[in-house]
Amino acid sequence: MLVMGIESSAHTFGVGIVRNGRILANEKSMYRIGTTGMIPAKVAQFHSENASEVMGRALSAAKIGFEDLDGIGYTMGPGMGHCLQVGALSAKTVARMLRIPIAPVNHAVGHIEIVRHLSGMKDPLALYVSGGNSQILKRSDGHFPHYRVLGETFDIGVGNMLDTFARKMKLDPAWGSSVEKKAMGGRYMKMPYTVKGMDFSFTGLLTHSMKQIGHAKDSDICFSLQETAFSMLCEATERALLLTNSKELEVCGGVAQNSRLREMLASIAKEHGARFGSVEKQYDADNGAMIAVVAERMLKKGMDESIGNCGISQRYRADSARLAGA
Amino acid sequence: MRIIAEGAEAQVFKAVLLGDTVIVKTRKAKGYRIKAIDDDIRASRTRIEARVMERAHSSGIMVPRLIAVDSFSIYMGLVDGKLMKDARIRKDSYGRLGRILGIMHNADIVHGDFTPANIMVAKDGLYVIDFGLSGISKSHEEKALDVLLMKRSLGESQYRWFIDGYTHSGRESKAIMGRLAEIELRGRYQVRTLG
Ligand SMILES: Nc1ncnc2c1ncn2[C@@H]1O[C@H](COP(=O)(O)OP(=O)(O)O)[C@@H](O)[C@H]1O
Ligand SMILES: [Mg+2]
Repeated sequence: MLVMGIESSAHTFGVGIVRNGRILANEKSMYRIGTTGMIPAKVAQFHSENASEVMGRALSAAKIGFEDLDGIGYTMGPGMGHCLQVGALSAKTVARMLRIPIAPVNHAVGHIEIVRHLSGMKDPLALYVSGGNSQILKRSDGHFPHYRVLGETFDIGVGNMLDTFARKMKLDPAWGSSVEKKAMGGRYMKMPYTVKGMDFSFTGLLTHSMKQIGHAKDSDICFSLQETAFSMLCEATERALLLTNSKELEVCGGVAQNSRLREMLASIAKEHGARFGSVEKQYDADNGAMIAVVAERMLKKGMDESIGNCGISQRYRADSARLAGA
Repeated sequence: MRIIAEGAEAQVFKAVLLGDTVIVKTRKAKGYRIKAIDDDIRASRTRIEARVMERAHSSGIMVPRLIAVDSFSIYMGLVDGKLMKDARIRKDSYGRLGRILGIMHNADIVHGDFTPANIMVAKDGLYVIDFGLSGISKSHEEKALDVLLMKRSLGESQYRWFIDGYTHSGRESKAIMGRLAEIELRGRYQVRTLG
């Protein structure tokens, strides 16, 4: 099967193409966030202007034409409404034009599944860390096959926290990478640390560290903020790893690109005899390939949706998405 | 020293101190986080656990006798009994367990991990142990979660006996039970604990 996946839930418009699980293309264009944050309508307009160009690039990279596609998938949610609309509309247009089946994909499931797929894991515990979300999940076959949320943030995602802080410090808010660089050589100062079982909260930490700007060295604040946030995530993850007795651990989502976070998780996995899986950074950031991978599995299982029913859902939770199986 | 339990956070040992057998609960160092954070977290949680144990004791419920506390360890008296999850207990014990939780909640103690794996049955009665996730709070939500956790671990009639006891002693038990119903309706909330 040859399937295209379209991702547009936030600032990235991504198009991926897979054939039987092999990724043939993963192209994207990214809206520059700048210092004002994301204005959804503006980002959406950016996406609509770039949609066909990015699709074209993906097709050339895969060395195929539109007419070769057997199916298409798009991100149904969660994400920003305006942005999701652009991806859904593009996918529906292609599906209608080519008369191919279409699958609406959960964004979080996309993130988890691409890492699981590329690292060859069977049943990992997943730490999903992105801008809007931070969750610990594990597959469960209870009422229906889905990712069960074992723990999650009570308030904001770790990525949004790092970005909000970065903007305040006038750094480039790029999913924590600027905070990571600034943290080099920093020294620790005490910060609020909030973990409750397998859940955690970031607003206290954010408020505190923003107040420190100008009163302490930038590198010290960045270092302490990053170490504290990641320690919290790791503590909750370790508890979940023991609870579920998992022998595989993966990290996914935009913040998974951070090498310090990877290092800490790898150390936890090692201590408990679990395999640790992480992938090339382009697959941690929002991308179309992850949507294509999941869509292909769904379509192979006959989980396509009629075009008229293909909507978006801004608050589509991972634990309400039915999985297509291995 | 003989290790008797190892959880995500702590190791529990049996040791002999001045001729007495005591229990030592030590929070392990975590290599993944920097030492400054690790020491801080372990020390403050150890302090909180000991403080809540003391408060539970003075509120009138049975907990292990606190012997000493150092940076990362709590030394306490050995409870000579079995975990409730492994013991065969009589009907009235469930009511008594409910009353114990009511008394704790009256003192604004939330246990955080209130399951039969953290209750010990001894000759002189029921002991509450493992205040590792506990805290001082007036929050009905947190108190309701204590009830919910026990509900998930008990059978239907056992739970009813338990609730009889709880409403008997708990001053705000009505409001808390209302909150529990809400939580269950929300449905999304999952009990997440190591037991
Ligand atoms: N005071 C005590 N007397 C006897 N056994 C105890 C005592 N405290 C703990 N234990 C034993 O150690 C185990 C683990 O202790 P606990 O405080 O529950 O730590 P954890 O956080 O690892 O669950 C208990 O299940 C119980 O068997
Ligand atoms: Mg315990």
